[in-house]
Formats: sequence, structure tokens, C-alpha cells
Amino acid sequence: MSQLSVKHLLGIKYITNEDIDLIFTTADNFKQVINRKIKKVPSLRDITIANLFFENSTRTKLSFELAEKRLSADTVNFASSSSSVSKGETLIDTVNNILSMKVDMVVMRHPMPGAGIFLSRHIDANIINAGDGTHEHPTQALLDAYSIREKYGDVKGKRIVIVGDILHSRVALSNVFCLQKLGAEVMVCGPTTLIPKYYHTLGVKVEHNLKKALEWCDVANMLRIQLERQDIKFFPSLREYSLMFGLDLKTLHSLSKEITILHPGPINRGVEITSEVADSNQSIILQQVENGVAIRMAVLYLLASQPGPTS
Amino acid sequence: MKTILKNVTIIDAKSAYNGKKTSILIEEGIIKKIGEKIPTADATVIDVPGSFISPGWCDMRANFCEPGFEHKEDLTSGIKAAAAGGFTAVAITPETKPVLQSKAQIEFIKSKSKPALVEIMPYGAATHELDGLNLAEMYDMKNSGAVAFSNGNTTIANAGVMLKALLYVKNFDSFIVAHADDKTISNNGKMNEGITSVMLGMKSIPAIAEELIIARDIELLSYTNSRIHFSHISTRGAVGLIKKAKARGLQVTCDVAIANLVFDESNLVEFDTNFKVNPPLRTRDDIDALIEGINTGIIDAIVSDHRPQDDECKVVEFDNAANGMSTIQVFYNLLLKIGEAIKPEKLIEVISNQPRAILGLAPLVIQENETANFTVYNPEIVWQYGPATNRSRAKNSPLYATALKGKIVAVGNKGMVAYT
Repeated sequence: MSQLSVKHLLGIKYITNEDIDLIFTTADNFKQVINRKIKKVPSLRDITIANLFFENSTRTKLSFELAEKRLSADTVNFASSSSSVSKGETLIDTVNNILSMKVDMVVMRHPMPGAGIFLSRHIDANIINAGDGTHEHPTQALLDAYSIREKYGDVKGKRIVIVGDILHSRVALSNVFCLQKLGAEVMVCGPTTLIPKYYHTLGVKVEHNLKKALEWCDVANMLRIQLERQDIKFFPSLREYSLMFGLDLKTLHSLSKEITILHPGPINRGVEITSEVADSNQSIILQQVENGVAIRMAVLYLLASQPGPTS
Repeated sequence: MKTILKNVTIIDAKSAYNGKKTSILIEEGIIKKIGEKIPTADATVIDVPGSFISPGWCDMRANFCEPGFEHKEDLTSGIKAAAAGGFTAVAITPETKPVLQSKAQIEFIKSKSKPALVEIMPYGAATHELDGLNLAEMYDMKNSGAVAFSNGNTTIANAGVMLKALLYVKNFDSFIVAHADDKTISNNGKMNEGITSVMLGMKSIPAIAEELIIARDIELLSYTNSRIHFSHISTRGAVGLIKKAKARGLQVTCDVAIANLVFDESNLVEFDTNFKVNPPLRTRDDIDALIEGINTGIIDAIVSDHRPQDDECKVVEFDNAANGMSTIQVFYNLLLKIGEAIKPEKLIEVISNQPRAILGLAPLVIQENETANFTVYNPEIVWQYGPATNRSRAKNSPLYATALKGKIVAVGNKGMVAYT
């Protein structure tokens, strides 16, 4: 099988295990490509991709742009804060305008859950969800799982804890779906105020004690605290958060086994993890960044080779 | 003018003819004769095989948007949709622009709707501009025809104000229609808190946001010895709280919206904004409790909670979409989705007798020499719900543009009969 089961990548819950395998094996090839001297392939020549970022992003946007350029696609960028869009043009109008310029694919980040799904009902291009509010961030989950696979050979049977603001995290949700599909055991850990009451219904363990969570796991994915997505106070201060859920070298070394540290970035150094942990040899944070480009190349490539709306 | 309803089965627990298939002669707004042998000369005959007749249906909660939001619905279109949906009486919420909060506005609704077959009963605003702080001129509105007082889809958050509102309506034997939602808990929630909200990463409205306010209001009710009607309750906990309040002998009644009885949170997995309603669609377990509440007499009425919205409010991202479902015209089709869980006679109680009693309307019975206020409905007729048949201005319904089985055949009231 060399094609995805979907026309869009809207979320991990909408794709199959075979899709994930295909993305990973395709990413393996692209990872070799981007480590060559000539890092560019002509795969997406004549394909135009619009990167629509209705919410701030630095690294996801950069990673997608790089992936697109490595594949020789033509790209246009649109960035807007959600507030300016909600005052004027609707999402459909913005996107239709851009599509009138004959765009083949859309990479979209949007502050509202389901925005990508909404869009997919109204436009013809292939859509990649680069984060929709607190819903999903599929390419991040894919690159996280890919990085774990790279480190351990397989994700299956591994124990992974996701630490931090689970309530506001699309990364956590996509990670849960992706890791479960790949046969990992998943736990979430964070303040009681930042884990939804019914999160356990996803079939994950819930733990509020960081030390216990770390003792349990093989891999810890330390999420960034996203103060900008919290409209009311969920904990008193960053200092207090860090006291309870911050990971420092002392804690890391106190564990009975060596665990691997992931972080989707950007890191609040000294909040979720200390610099020493981020820069330690147990951390694969920079490998995640590199794998992010390979995974996004794979997704773009595979979606572009899907039968299009005109064919 | 004579009308004969031929071969209809009467569903009315209070009628001696309950369960009987017969014919009914209606003349000048009165049921003149019930029996097999009615001469058909100079009469209009309605003979649709397999039809049922019951006392006219009464909806305790609909929003007709006039004045202020006539692009979504107005009194004329709302009334047409209500008649097509089988209703002969509808109580409408004060969430208009301006808010229905004065004698003049209540009189406007009453006089504009007066010629219609459907009796329109406005709820006056309980507080000025629905601000939840300053009591509106309820006595003046009551004298002009306000049937009770409601703060629309906004809870009176301030317990002191709610207490005063409950006390105040005792002056003129009225009651408060309450909407229960603690905003400090539901905050910016978009759907029920549960497995679906977790799956979708959506901000959620926990059941406790509704139940806390109901618990609070029941204590306020006990203290004031006043009267309250909880509108569109949606959780198992709410049913339990009201059950206990009724057992205490408090003057409390409640209703449930049809959408909350037939759809649950799993309908939202595709982010379909037609299912975005307030209170939110809950769980299957809540629905079971609501149906049990109806069967055991805890819940007094089923309402349409008709809330029309235009495309600008619905064909948008889920977060940005307005709450509400257009339900009044397809109320019967939604009702049919409940299936056998509620017996036909019980259904008629909660969509006719009991809501009428709560609103102070005269009791109806399908009997000779009684007022001809009735609904004729047929579960077999198949029709297409779409632009050609939609009487409402709104189409924010998950049933829109589909073929539906079950239809209202006719309604009668105020000396008129309308075939739908």
C-alpha cells in the first residue's frame, strides 16, 4: 500500500495504523534526503501550498516551510491573529480567496477546535491541520512517535507519560491517539486543574505525582505551559507549577532507570524542565525538530500524491 | 363551517373515546359530534388513513426572534412553523431586541398574534435587559398578557436577585421560568463535559453547572414559598434534584427540550454546529434519566426550545457558532425518535395537558361539546423537509433537507382549522 486512506490530515483519530506506518517509512526516506549534501527533491514541483497561520507559530511554521521547500513546492504564507480575522473576513472567505489563486494544499493552524474539519467541508484542496485550538496537532504527534521509534526501534509496549497542561493541549491529545494506535501505554501527568475530568475515558492512566509518573515511564514528553491559552487561573504561579511538575537533573538522576525526554518546544527553560535536563544526553528534543521536517515532508508528499478533486 | 375528521384514533386519557377510531364533526370551534355516522354534506372532510387526534399541543419554550432578529424568524413565520408542527399554543421567550420587558412590547406580541390560530403567550423578562440584576416591570407585563417571567437563556446568577424575583412574582400569582447554568463553572464551554469533549479537545459544560443552580433555586424556592418552572433541564442530577423538591411539596415544575431527549453528545463528533445547543446535548445516561423522569411525572413537559439561527451564525467554526436548533416544525419527527419508551397517552400529557395547566390555559378534552382545540398527526406520511415545505425562516436542523416519516395533518383552535 502506498497511499493514505485520507485526503486530508485533520487529526490522528481520522487516520489508520497503516497510514502511520506509511508516513513513517516515507519519513525514513526523506530523513536520508535531508541529510544529504543536496537536500532538495523535485517531488512537489508545480504544487502550490498555502500556509495559513491564524495563530502564532514559529517552529511549526518554519518546519512546514522547510519541508515544502525541500520538496520543491511553491509556497505562499498568510499569517493573521485570530482577532483580526474574526472582526472581518470569515474563515471560508479568507481561504476561498487564497484558493482562487489556485492553491493545491493548505497547511492551517487555527485557534478553534475543528477548524480544519470545517474547512474540509467547504474547499477542495488537501488540508493539513497544523494545530486547531485544543483539538489536534497530528504532525507533532507523528514526529514525537517517530522520534521514540527511532530511539527504541519500536513504540509498541513502551510507557510514555505526557506531563503538563493536558486540558489545553492539542499535542497531548494527538499524542494519546497516536501512541495508543502504535501500541504504547500512555499516562498523563499534571495539576488536577489541568487534566479534564473524563480524560481517563481515553484509556490513559492519570497521575498527579511527577515522581511516580517518571518512575513508571520509559519516555516523558514534557509539554510547554501555555499561559496564552488559559483564560482563567488554573494554578497560582509558574513558580509553584515548577515546584510540583518541573523536571530537574536531580529528579532525573534519582530515577531507577534512564528515561528519554521529549519536549515539543519552545521550552520555557526552568519551568517544565531545567536547562540541564533539556541539554542532557537523555533529551532528544533536537532530534524531534529534525524529524519534524522529515515527517512533514512525508505527509505533504503522500497527500499530494492522493487522487485530487479534479482527477 | 363544518369540518369532519374521518377515521381518526383518539389519544386522550381524559376522553371516553380514548383509543377509539372514529369520526369527529367540528363546527364553529366546537366538537359537535363524535361517531361513525356523520353526514358529510356541506362539510370539509379530512380523511387521512392512520391518523391520530389529541388535544392541541402546547409548547412552553420557543424563540420567535421578533422584534430585532426577523432575519432569523418572525412572529408570522414562527406561527406558521408552529402550526405545521402541531402546536396550538406556544410560549415564547423574551430574548428579542429590544427585550420583551414592558407593557408595550407584550401588547405588541399579543395584538400581532391575535388573529392566528396558534395562541402566542409571551414570557416577560424577569430582569431589565435580562441583566440578572434589576427586576423588570413584571406586574405591568402580567396585566398585558405576559404568561410568566423568564430571563431567557441567561441564569440570574445573583442569588439575592433571584430570591427577590421569586418573592416579587407572588404578588400577582405568577412564576419564574428558570434557566440553570453556573457561568463560573461552564465558563466558555461549548459542549457537554464528557468523553466527546475530551476527544474533540473542546471546552466543556459540566453537568454540575446546571445542577448547582437548580439546587440553589430549590432552596430559594423553599425559603420564599414561591413558584418556579425549570426550563430545559438536561442532566440525570437535575431530574434527581427536582424529584426531591417535588417530594418536599414545593411548587416546582420542569420541562426538557426535545433535542436533549433524542440526541446526545456523540452527535457532535463531526463538529456539526446544528447540534450545538444550550443546554448542551448530554449523554445516553442523561437521556435515560430524562425519559424516566417523564414517565414518573418528575418532568412535566417536553418543549421544542425552537431557536432559529441563520447561516452567518451556524455555517462557521464550531466555537463561533451560535447555540440553537430549529425544531418547532419537525417536533413530531423528533418525538417519534423516542420510540416506545414513552406511551402515547403520556406523550400527550407532556406536550398538551400539563404544559397548558402550568401556563394557566383551559383544560382540553376530545369530547362532544368541548372546544375544538386539537392536533391531528400521522406517523406514516413521508415528506421532504426542505425549502418547499419549511415554514420557519431558519434551517438550522440536522433533519433539514432529508425525507421524514410522520407529519401533522391538521390543527384546530379559535374556530379555525388548518391543514398542514
